[in-house]
Amino acid sequence: MGYAVSETGTAPAVPALAIKILIAGGFGVGKTTMVSTISEIRPLHTEELLSDRGVGVDDTSGVESKVTTTVALDFGRITIRDGLWLYLFGTPGQDRFWFMWDELALGALGAVVLADTRRLQDCFPAVDYFEQRQIPFVVGVNCFDGARRYEPSKVRRALGLPGHIPIVMCDVRQRESVKEVLTTLVTYAVKGP
Amino acid sequence: MSGDDPGPLIRLFGLTGGRARPRGEAFDLMAIVTTAGDAAEPQGLMPEHRSVLALCRRPTPVADVAAHLRLPVNITRVILDDLRRDGLVTIDRPRPVAQTIDERIYREVLHGLRSL
Repeated sequence: MGYAVSETGTAPAVPALAIKILIAGGFGVGKTTMVSTISEIRPLHTEELLSDRGVGVDDTSGVESKVTTTVALDFGRITIRDGLWLYLFGTPGQDRFWFMWDELALGALGAVVLADTRRLQDCFPAVDYFEQRQIPFVVGVNCFDGARRYEPSKVRRALGLPGHIPIVMCDVRQRESVKEVLTTLVTYAVKGP
Repeated sequence: MSGDDPGPLIRLFGLTGGRARPRGEAFDLMAIVTTAGDAAEPQGLMPEHRSVLALCRRPTPVADVAAHLRLPVNITRVILDDLRRDGLVTIDRPRPVAQTIDERIYREVLHGLRSL
């Protein structure tokens, strides 16, 4: 049995790297739309199978009988080059899946918190979550048709955001707009304020 | 177990010998799975296992493997853990993101995003 690098070149010179970015925000704010707008593939779908205590709990192995539910995980992918990808994960909206956030947030480069000025309070939990865990995030204010436009400074005040956290006005249906949000996040996460 | 139709779960646990999570550490959704070398594929593998070996000839993150198999992440993890124990795949644990994204990768990502 040979363990040399195969002729098909399965061992890349540079290790493959998948960078995880979270898209958070209240229900119906445009998380799925944002992922669909920018993803090179139709958003992929998988599920997390939950035991009664959820993910990350050390319980005894063996046949498990407490599996109760599944939670959908939808994500998109952007290939930068062979072996370098950005993965965009929409966070589950329901409160009872908060623990899923912990798994998703682990190792994430950062997060986009989408906000709708008509119901700004919906994004408070996401802002709190990333602030508490010191995960870099930017706020994308999704400018829905017909919604009143606000100055970023007003949004900042309403959300109680420190001055260093970027706020980007966006339209998640527009590719250029989503690109701007993501480049802002990547730069903020890598370079800092 | 009571309640909803257990049919799909029974099928899923058939794939994993009744386990709902891997025996070893739970690897990240972004951990990279690579089919090991060009060793001959053992006889009698389940279709899902063969499917992983074919897919991961090109390094592939766990999340993509799960989506490809159309299986829940935890079940996928058990399958991957089994394949790793048999030496058929390697799974690279992602390094902390701050250590991986150097200036070169940062510029590549920015350039890649802007040229979409």
